[in-house]
Amino acid sequence: MGNRWRTTAGSLTAMAVVLAAFPGSTAGSGSAVTGSRAAKAPVVAKKAAASAHLPGYNIERNAYFGDLHVHTKLSFDAYIFNVRASPDDAYRFAKGDTIGHPSGFNIRLSGGPLDFVAVTDHSEYIGALQEAADTNSPLNKLPIVEGLFSTDPVKIGQAFSRVIEAMGTNSLPKEFGDKRIASKAWKEIQDAAERNNDPGHFTTFVGYEFTSAPDGRNLHRNVIFKSAKVPELPYSAVQSQDPENLWHQMDSWRKAGIEVLAIPHNMNGSDGLMFEQTRRDGRAMDKAYSDLRMRNEPIAEITQIKGTSETHPSLSPNDEWANFEIMESYIGRAKAITKFSGGYVRDALKSGILMQDTKGFNPFKFGFIGSSDTHNAAPGSVEDRNYFSKVGRTDGKPEQRGSIPAEGRKTWDIPTADPNGNLGRFQSWGASGIAGVWAEENSRDAIYSAMRRKETFATSGPRMRVRFFAAYDYPQNILKRSDLVTVAYRSGVPMGGDLMPSKGKAPQFILWAMRDPNSGYLQRAQIVKGWVENGVAKEAVFDVACSDNLAINPATGRCPDNGAKVDLSNCEPTKFKGDAEMRTLWRDPTFKPNQRAFYYARVLENPSCRWSTWDAIRNGTPPNPKLLPTIQERVWSSPIWYAPSL
Amino acid sequence: MTSSLSKQSPVRACIVRAGREPIVHFLLIGALLFVGILVARSLQRPVVRIDAQELGQLAGYWSTQMQRDPTNEELQGIIHERVDEEVLAREALRLGLDKDDMIVRRRLAQKMTFASEDTANLPEPDEAALKAFFEKTKADYQAPPRVTFRHQFFNSDRGKDQALARAKLALGKVDSTQGEALGEPFLLPLGYSDASLIDINKDYGQDFASALIRVPLNQWSGPIASAYGYHLIKVDSRISAKTPTLDEVRSDVSAAYQEQARKTRNTAFLDGLRKKYRIEISGIPQTILK
Repeated sequence: MGNRWRTTAGSLTAMAVVLAAFPGSTAGSGSAVTGSRAAKAPVVAKKAAASAHLPGYNIERNAYFGDLHVHTKLSFDAYIFNVRASPDDAYRFAKGDTIGHPSGFNIRLSGGPLDFVAVTDHSEYIGALQEAADTNSPLNKLPIVEGLFSTDPVKIGQAFSRVIEAMGTNSLPKEFGDKRIASKAWKEIQDAAERNNDPGHFTTFVGYEFTSAPDGRNLHRNVIFKSAKVPELPYSAVQSQDPENLWHQMDSWRKAGIEVLAIPHNMNGSDGLMFEQTRRDGRAMDKAYSDLRMRNEPIAEITQIKGTSETHPSLSPNDEWANFEIMESYIGRAKAITKFSGGYVRDALKSGILMQDTKGFNPFKFGFIGSSDTHNAAPGSVEDRNYFSKVGRTDGKPEQRGSIPAEGRKTWDIPTADPNGNLGRFQSWGASGIAGVWAEENSRDAIYSAMRRKETFATSGPRMRVRFFAAYDYPQNILKRSDLVTVAYRSGVPMGGDLMPSKGKAPQFILWAMRDPNSGYLQRAQIVKGWVENGVAKEAVFDVACSDNLAINPATGRCPDNGAKVDLSNCEPTKFKGDAEMRTLWRDPTFKPNQRAFYYARVLENPSCRWSTWDAIRNGTPPNPKLLPTIQERVWSSPIWYAPSL
Repeated sequence: MTSSLSKQSPVRACIVRAGREPIVHFLLIGALLFVGILVARSLQRPVVRIDAQELGQLAGYWSTQMQRDPTNEELQGIIHERVDEEVLAREALRLGLDKDDMIVRRRLAQKMTFASEDTANLPEPDEAALKAFFEKTKADYQAPPRVTFRHQFFNSDRGKDQALARAKLALGKVDSTQGEALGEPFLLPLGYSDASLIDINKDYGQDFASALIRVPLNQWSGPIASAYGYHLIKVDSRISAKTPTLDEVRSDVSAAYQEQARKTRNTAFLDGLRKKYRIEISGIPQTILK
């Protein structure tokens, strides 16, 4: 209860600031107040009756923003990174409160509170490192623990590698798997979720991360439970590294009334393994496998701090925006990825529709979300101007993540030593990963259902909104109609859905995006199409709307440059460039009724400073010349699939 | 007996003779004393006692880790290890190895903290105390203003002046149009029922949110600028910031009260302890110590 009170007090302090902005009717009295950063108030707790709608209920659905990938001190690695913040602290942070960073400063979301969060600690040896650090525990006496809780980042790194290696080979001492330790941690996670769930205002999910990585190739998934009804203990990668076994376990939970889904992530660190085209045990995929996989994994996390897995420049050479926050190394170590196919979602969606054509099933028919993967118990901390990365004491300071020169130097003339390759990895990480859902209200039921029907989207950090619908016959004036959304739903399908076979007409798409008031303006809206042509899966990126009243160049198919730039001395964007809103109706000019296809929306902001440039400016040094100084923030909708009639 | 003495063997005679020698008396007494001291010392040796309860605990711990009961041999090992730990710890204490050891110090401090909190069990606050506390901290429980309103949107991406003009034109005829939409489609809801002003503030910005508080009720007003363009707004009802009654938030207030009481006690306890010591710190500027 103490925690709940602090939450209340903290958010309300922020609220008091907002309230102070309304002393009667004095116009402009609040000009000095950044009220939009204020916390959402946990009002007098009033549980709505089961049948009644919650505040903000909207039958046409609202966009809610969240983070479904959050680690706290209960994760073995976070604990080693000196993170001591609890699941309760993570929820407090998501609600707008300030918490401490392991490197000794305070952290807080500048974009305001999130709408929903799941704490997803690693289930492997959950809570065990906290136990091991307790000098009173027998775990503390084990040799592998020695040096693990050093304050020296180099020693932490070495110890971390040792533990990771022991985990990989399943050779951690048995004491680490003590069920009593895991139960205690699992209970703490459930209790924190229960305490902080506030229907109508803030939704929590009980969850955990299944941390499988055969030979270091990342197959991690986050397991998210719909309600407070969860298994006694998580099913972890210690039991099996094969995700197929996890899905079978999830099926049995479902039979027992425990509704659950899993979200794979960091396919970019899998070296092609995440979307390999055989089963993990080498057997051929079949319909039953495909159904099992899709039943349990309706959506995938396509962007997070450890890189964006939409596509890789080598896989999409004709996509000028493919080079976005690309991470080309294994997870947790500086080993280079060699196989990009199988590690990116656009490529997987293409493989999926091809398999549907050739084999009759599609194991890769998933929607998109983003999430942070913070290990600082800091959900939503993917703000470029307010970035502190994600692995605690190891990368909490700019120098540790290579955005400022080492040892207080003022220039980049002397290259910074990077003996273990950490610097290179941390530099390649991006401030990216927010989960968006279209749900009727802010509740576990509504948000979970949105994830099930893939009516979800991913952003690179800003809280921009995107609507995406498809049909064959939208009214011509639909974009101007006040019942746009009603009609869009009634006569079409939203993101995540399936178009019926065409009766000759090409499908039309409504793409509607709105900027985040706390971020930049929108520059262009795109539709990414994948299709099967003569037994080969192909892709194309179409610009479908341009900002600033510009028209698409018919020769290039691209929007002309809108002239938006960034002043790298202070990160100020060019003024009066870009749009607040983009709304367009697009009919696919290349459509062939017999070609299976998928379409998803991607909307780009004007360029803005990358986190590494913000770090440099604050330090008064030039940005690291090895890194891109600016990025284009973006939002991706889940795909809509088209199936020909056969 | 004396008669038999005369018949004794030469060896015996020798012993008897030796028994009369003072040097032998001296040695014997010395030996006795030595044995006596040994016995006494042995009786005074500190005891390492592992009782049945602890033994049960140790064996139980071993079982949960190994998923079976220990064999007799393993049990001996457990005991052996425990005894070794004990004697090593005691020797360490005897040699003062606990001094200047951070881990030992932290553990002791931690135990003391727990002990002091345990002994200071907090009573449930009485009604008067809770009320007084609530009165003091009321602001923490305040609910934000809530508004029910509709709005119409005018996109300014294609020119602010034109958008403003369209909005002004619409305002002129909005009352005669029976609620027909004069604005443009908008991606966020065009109507909000009993919405928290804090949420509106987050999505629309400060100007828009403060206008909702300012404009007259039940009539269209504007244009108002937001982060997206211009809006006409019509507020149907407003509930100003509201402070709940104690009953509505009793459990939160009670928890907060307890938490504060606990903190106060802990601080008082520590302050008391500090007064028992003269604290000297060197090697650091005085300003930091403030």
